[in-house]
Amino acid sequence: MKNKLNSLVLSVSKINREHIQVFFIVLSLAMLVLGVGAPEDGGYGSR
Amino acid sequence: MILLAALVLGLAVGLGMARLRGQPYQLPDLRHLWLVFLAFLPQFAIFYIPALREQVPDLWAGIFLTASQALLLGFAWLNRKHPGMLVLLVGAAFNFLVMTANGGFMPINPQTASRLVPQEILEGIPVGSRFGLKDILLKPQDTRFEILADRFLPPEWSAYQVAFSLGDVFLAVGVFWLLASQPQNALNQKGF
Repeated sequence: MKNKLNSLVLSVSKINREHIQVFFIVLSLAMLVLGVGAPEDGGYGSR
Repeated sequence: MILLAALVLGLAVGLGMARLRGQPYQLPDLRHLWLVFLAFLPQFAIFYIPALREQVPDLWAGIFLTASQALLLGFAWLNRKHPGMLVLLVGAAFNFLVMTANGGFMPINPQTASRLVPQEILEGIPVGSRFGLKDILLKPQDTRFEILADRFLPPEWSAYQVAFSLGDVFLAVGVFWLLASQPQNALNQKGF
């Protein structure tokens, strides 16, 4: 029972870590392309 | 929007290809991610938060944008070994070059801008002033590296109108490639 619980905790923490890594890499790439890109759809109007 | 669409499409294709091959999806192992946060967050604050956007003078906005893009270029250079990142780097360099040469903003000519906003609004924007988020309204003859400016448009019948540069095209292809391609030895690596 204890072993099962340990393996469950281990797999949940692994999934969380992997999901967080994926989230940060995709977020970083989104920030990268938004940061260096400059397409304009006129949505923000003028200053 | 078009750049985020390329990112989402690349991710979807990468996941689909990995699934078809029965392999775990392998994201690029990017280094120095902190650099992206450091570079982008000030840009996000100044350009995407309306209250701050109104307060920051154009001169400072241009300086911040140039500094931010220089840091992002550095990040792309440090990760250039990944497939697609070199294409993305070329796009970033094109945009950086044309924007730096035109006061820190992306030039767009009045004719191209007229496809994005109604004529009566455009008439109220003097040439030489900022237009939209990162653009500046400039006549083609007053634009340095005009070929790299926001000069491309989708067909007129398209419901979504957006002006984009050659650099943006490279960026879209680069980020798509980066997320869609999978390393040959993905089976032996950790994946998603």
